[in-house]
Amino acid sequence: MRRKLLNGTSHCLMLFMAVLLVLGVGTQAPTPPPVLAQASKYKEAPMLAALVKAGKLPPVAQRLPEDPLVVDTIEGIGQYGGVWRRGFLGPSDFNNVHRIVYDALVRYSPDGTKVEPKYASSVTPSKDFTAWTVRLRKGAKWSDGSPFTADDIMFWYNDVLLNKDLTPAPPVWMKNHDGSPVAVQRVDDITVRWTYKEPSTTFMMELANKDSGDRQYACFLPAHYLKQFHAKYAEKAKLDQMVAAAKFKTWVELFAAKAHPPENPDRPVMAAWVAKTRVSEQLFVLRRNPYYVGVDKAGNQLPYIDTVQFKFFADPQSLNLAAIAGQLDEQERHIILGNYPVLKEHEKDGKYRVILWQGFGGADADVTFNETYTKDPDLGRLLQNRDFRIAMSYAINRNQIKESAFLGLGEPRQPVAAPWSPYYPGNAYAQKYTEYRPDEANRILDRIGLDKKDGEGFRLFPGSNRRVTVELSVVPVFGPWPDVAQLIAKDWERVGIKAIVQIRERSLHFQMRQSNDLQAEIWNQDTAGFPFTGTPKYDPRTILYGTITIGPLWKQWYDTGGKEGVEPPAAAKRLVELIDRAKTADPKEQARDAQEIFKVWVDNMFEIGTVGLTPMDQGVAVVNVHMHNVPTKLGKDWPLRTPGNARTEQFYYK
Amino acid sequence: MLRVLVQRLLLLPFLLAVFSIAVFALVQAPPGGFLTSYVSMLASSGSSISEEQVEALRRQFGLDQPFHVRYVRWVENLVRGDLGLSLEYQRPNAELIHQYLLLTVLLALFSFVLTWAIAIPAGIYSATHPRSWVDYALTVMNYVGVAIPNFMLALVLMWIAFSRFGISVTGLFSPEYVQAPWTLGRVTDLLTHIWLPTIVLGIAGTARLTRVMRANLLDELHKPYVVTARAKGLSEWRLVLKYPVRVAINPLVSTIGWYLPQLFSGSLIVATVMNLPNIGPLLLRALIQQDTYLAGSVLMIYCFFTVVGTLISDLLLAWVDPRIRMEG
Repeated sequence: MRRKLLNGTSHCLMLFMAVLLVLGVGTQAPTPPPVLAQASKYKEAPMLAALVKAGKLPPVAQRLPEDPLVVDTIEGIGQYGGVWRRGFLGPSDFNNVHRIVYDALVRYSPDGTKVEPKYASSVTPSKDFTAWTVRLRKGAKWSDGSPFTADDIMFWYNDVLLNKDLTPAPPVWMKNHDGSPVAVQRVDDITVRWTYKEPSTTFMMELANKDSGDRQYACFLPAHYLKQFHAKYAEKAKLDQMVAAAKFKTWVELFAAKAHPPENPDRPVMAAWVAKTRVSEQLFVLRRNPYYVGVDKAGNQLPYIDTVQFKFFADPQSLNLAAIAGQLDEQERHIILGNYPVLKEHEKDGKYRVILWQGFGGADADVTFNETYTKDPDLGRLLQNRDFRIAMSYAINRNQIKESAFLGLGEPRQPVAAPWSPYYPGNAYAQKYTEYRPDEANRILDRIGLDKKDGEGFRLFPGSNRRVTVELSVVPVFGPWPDVAQLIAKDWERVGIKAIVQIRERSLHFQMRQSNDLQAEIWNQDTAGFPFTGTPKYDPRTILYGTITIGPLWKQWYDTGGKEGVEPPAAAKRLVELIDRAKTADPKEQARDAQEIFKVWVDNMFEIGTVGLTPMDQGVAVVNVHMHNVPTKLGKDWPLRTPGNARTEQFYYK
Repeated sequence: MLRVLVQRLLLLPFLLAVFSIAVFALVQAPPGGFLTSYVSMLASSGSSISEEQVEALRRQFGLDQPFHVRYVRWVENLVRGDLGLSLEYQRPNAELIHQYLLLTVLLALFSFVLTWAIAIPAGIYSATHPRSWVDYALTVMNYVGVAIPNFMLALVLMWIAFSRFGISVTGLFSPEYVQAPWTLGRVTDLLTHIWLPTIVLGIAGTARLTRVMRANLLDELHKPYVVTARAKGLSEWRLVLKYPVRVAINPLVSTIGWYLPQLFSGSLIVATVMNLPNIGPLLLRALIQQDTYLAGSVLMIYCFFTVVGTLISDLLLAWVDPRIRMEG
């Protein structure tokens, strides 16, 4: 029953999203933005109206820009008020907050297929995509009431990005091919132009993620406030005193802490809610921003909800218990998929409903072999053998994994983009090598010289008495990975390959990734929607931390210009070539390149997908029955800042 | 006596120096470092940061320095009374510890008082009425109390509270009071929350203490002076409380010093399970995240209290028990 229901939803979703929208460039096929019913009179929250009456705040019309951001509501016009209770796991969980406020110039749409204006009113590329003009909203203001202008972007560019202390090396999106920084110029008070030496067609996607997420600098900073912490502007004695008082060693650390909104309630923001306490407190509280640039179609200034309150939990399970008890109003982060049945059971208590947001493509558990494993040359050679990897894929019974580890959610697939994405390489690739064919796996293994077996039926390395043994390293984060690993190990044993499952602590696993000590690992593939922006796992050159390791020593080869490490095979080089080309290709060609990337990925079995499109990673949403305008279908991924792309400012209580 | 005290005090810095090396080495011992934990944590919530950023962070946190340089830096600050900066919180450690200190001490005191208030009378009753049904009932309860791991008990009680009464009893305050200033309302709110953790933390200690009290008192009750007093017609209660109880309680009083570090430690596992805002979860998290300076500083304070507590215990013992000599 449940499965039928879910399959139904996923088909609807595919139809719903099958409209191929051009990713990244909203200017090509513009959907008309929602317009105000009447721009005559803006309305505001009672809380703010009282302040205006008391003369402590200018009237709403003066607080809003001339052309406010008109936000489309999911169900309808909402009501003001209420507290949104959420749980978080401490100061390192700041992305929990960034996902709620999604504090960026432009943002992804709810379905995740295009980028739309937020604080910027428009972003326009030149014909050849080398120049991008960002226009802000005239009269927009920071949360302290000071004007938000081109200078706030120029401050970021001149004094943060180009400052060697604050930015030792410019990030990839701000570098031309020759390594020089991309030029940014002030056009007028509210207009700024980025100029690249080559075409850049991923600009919008990059811009949509410059929001302080991951504690990085947003590309627009409140210059009037942050200058007091910047060595170029501040008086040295005073700055040194502030650094010492905060126990920091350099002004750079102080500046980073002061610029990161969750750590500093005094820092003005553009977001719908402003921090009132710090993320290192037991209760992290945000209150509505009286100057927020968004309104609904009826002219009500957003957000609807007054307060967002994050409660600290020392451990995810106690957070889950609070969710089951109905003490959290909208929470998908840290909700454990395994608790879905319990959550469903307590839905009847009438305090909340459970919504499932399925994954944005890729796979929610996959196996990656380390193709540059050197400690055991025989094994290393075997892991490089594409036929071996294909056999290992055929040997996995994915339906069993889906039923027992993923509660019947999702579908067996390889780690490629979702069917509704313009990058989808087609069903043939999404399902390639995913059938459960142990006989075929045995045939392939026999053919590649693993036909000798020991007394227990395990295969031996060619020309030796050594058993082929693969260690599968797995970390108990995200989802039911240890269970998945055990199931895969059993499946492999049936075709004569001994697998040892090692459940490791997160840091240790990551350390071993770095030092080229992993033989095989289980992780997820969540960059399928974004194979060439951010840090995609499809790129052999991306950092090993946080990405799977198809070949740590290939990366070294790229990093040292071929002096060290191991030269990657032609297929891996092809990936790099496609990724680089896609960044400067026009959108149609970009989609073709993306599909090609996935085809190379699957053909070479760089990563063996098991089950994908499940709500495993932050897709089980517990929502208060009184909360409205929360979408039941939503693109879900970190670059989309889910649930931020659901436009949290229009959530409301009835 | 005084000479012993001076000797011990002179030994203190040396002991702490040895502890500091051990603590720092232990916190650093797991593979990887704070940065690995930090980045892996980001990755496990769906994001991954670029290489340039990792390098910048490494420099920013001073993690590019070798072990001994970092150690010396840390100790220099400790000596000056500066506990340093927490890597994860980006706030001074002293500030963080201070934030949790009051509730940590309060909770420990509560469970300490509860333990003694229940255990001493129960122990006396058991000893004066041996092999009565009350004695047996208390004995069974004591064995159970000692046998059940207290975090397990916490989980069971939390589940019962939730499934039976629909209340979630995590934490020490309702949300509206978490960051409120101290008012009568906040105190009341604390009192409604603190009883469950108090019971959980106190139950094993109560059981142990009751048994010790019972055994000690049983030894005393048959001594000749008790028989003599009884023969002279003293009332039973006065007789028991006047001498035997005082003698029996001696060994317990002399270990009071050991409660000092416990007051500060905040019972790691229980506090984490019950989501209590005290030092326990702070330390556990710092250890997991390899937040070297925070974990190191908390552990150093803990070591300091252990040493001082032991000293206090020794002094108390010498003071209450004339059989102990502090010479030689």
